[in-house]
Amino acid sequence: MPTRYVLPPEWEWPITIALFIAGIASGAYAAMGLIHFAGDKNDQPVAYRLGFIPLPLMLVTPLLLIIDLGSPDRFLNLLIKSPAAAERGGPLMFNSNSPMNWGSWAMVIFGLFAAIAFADALHHTGRMRFGWLEPISHNVVVLVIGELLALVVSGYSGVLLNVTNQGVWSDTWLMGALFICFSELSGMAAALIVSDRMGAARTSAALRTALFYSAAVSAVVLVLFLGSMAAQQDGSLAALIGSLHEFVGPVFWIGAVGLALILPLLALSPRPMVRVPNGSLALVGLLVLVGVLAFRYAVFFSAISFVQS
Amino acid sequence: MSDLRGMFVDTSICTGCKACQVACKQWNEMAPGVPLPMEDEAAVREHRAFTGNSYDNTSHLSATNWRHVKFIEQIGPDPSTTDRSDPRWLMMSDSCKHCVQAGCLEVCPTGALYRTQFGSVDIHQDVCIGCRYCVGACPFGVIAFNNRTGRVNKCILCQDRLEIGMGTACAKACPTSSLNFGAVDDLKAMANDRVKALHARGQTDAYIYGWDLGNTGKITAGPNKGAAVQDVEVVGGLNVFYLLLDKPEVYGLPSHAALPQRNFVPSAGVALISAAVLGVAGLAAFRRDRMASNQGEEVTRAN
Repeated sequence: MPTRYVLPPEWEWPITIALFIAGIASGAYAAMGLIHFAGDKNDQPVAYRLGFIPLPLMLVTPLLLIIDLGSPDRFLNLLIKSPAAAERGGPLMFNSNSPMNWGSWAMVIFGLFAAIAFADALHHTGRMRFGWLEPISHNVVVLVIGELLALVVSGYSGVLLNVTNQGVWSDTWLMGALFICFSELSGMAAALIVSDRMGAARTSAALRTALFYSAAVSAVVLVLFLGSMAAQQDGSLAALIGSLHEFVGPVFWIGAVGLALILPLLALSPRPMVRVPNGSLALVGLLVLVGVLAFRYAVFFSAISFVQS
Repeated sequence: MSDLRGMFVDTSICTGCKACQVACKQWNEMAPGVPLPMEDEAAVREHRAFTGNSYDNTSHLSATNWRHVKFIEQIGPDPSTTDRSDPRWLMMSDSCKHCVQAGCLEVCPTGALYRTQFGSVDIHQDVCIGCRYCVGACPFGVIAFNNRTGRVNKCILCQDRLEIGMGTACAKACPTSSLNFGAVDDLKAMANDRVKALHARGQTDAYIYGWDLGNTGKITAGPNKGAAVQDVEVVGGLNVFYLLLDKPEVYGLPSHAALPQRNFVPSAGVALISAAVLGVAGLAAFRRDRMASNQGEEVTRAN
């Protein structure tokens, strides 16, 4: 049972934004893979454009983590074992008990797959010739491995929060699932923005259904998450949904619930309550991204709110 | 005899003199902390210079207070009334517990936190990257981030003293033998004897926090008077353990401290299931949309 005697780790804005950005990168890669697997040749231009998204974002993420840590060499200590840590064997750092190590390695390896997708996008949009890369970039095995790594990048931070003793974060087993759901939401939202801006109406129609389904699954997971926190009866639920500390409660309801879940459920349903014409889908995608950022913020700062309560 | 070293903290004879805190600060060359005027509310909040509600002005363990003497003031049997009869002060010299299963050590992603040859948990300061994961993982709120160095700090059980055969500085300074340093097995025997001696004298509220040595009792004073207590073993045992006279929560200690890793496999498993559901939902979305658009095209062609 979580306790109230834990100090907050003081992870703030750089970490919140880093995980938001990593979530978009992994979600966009997942959406790209989905289009490759389930789409037809008319959808492929959108998939190629999506290939531009993960790599730049995966380059920004470590920069934000370095800002938080204060020094670039500190980030390297997550991957390369310091000689001073003689208790651990081998030249590389990997503690299988630490989700942070899993995530660090997943991000580095996923970066390679993001680079392949980026090069493929350059090739197919005629900017640079990487034709020799096609047997790799379109290889099903490569795509599946990339998708699995994207999954780890999406979910590791949620599992990491679960593997603490902080109020809210460690109160349920659903944090990893929730982070995967919201990463998927952000990836689908990014894909919808790209396809809408490209005027790919047929792909947009499929993506709006996919985003609707993702929002429905995420809403179910969120309800289970809130229910499991309520069962704890230790004030963690109130710290997330009712706290005015740093506006956690309002940000959660307006952003995470309103923009990220209810908006796509209402606007993108097969029988929508709010009609969104093609050409305006990008706006819905943008608002969903804002909602996902709000979700990250509310979850991160709720633990601080819990300690202060 | 085992090489494991630890401390037994007998709170029943702690007088709150804070000699242990001073000795810790002195040996480890930590700044004493700057007394700040109480009118400076922001400074008081940040540095806890004067709590204004107790003789305890350190308030909690931190990166520069590796040992902290807690003053627990129980004024009257019910704090919500003005009845001030039967008051008592409970004192406890708190520090890192050097858990047998240490959450901080388990989650450390760089190997900075490590188990020493004495069973204590030490920190390689030059390996620590200041990620603060251990801060949120410690169930006792012991390990803390040092804003000046950008790394974490906590009690290291005077590793440098132990390596040359000395005991801890705090235990050396304790004038009442509330702090006892030695081999963990010997300390457990000492603690058990002490609980039994106190019970024989009628102080039946004494029990051990950290190891289950089979003692049970009943609280004799304060708001929890009459409540049953018994030895509490947490996170596989504590190499620094306590004799307490009231419920653990009264001393700011959790009754059910748990390792953060308890959530790792279940959380990752549920995450995998959700990913599979999302994947199927995505494929279903494309399939549904394509079937609908193919039907539309067929209708158009038929017309």
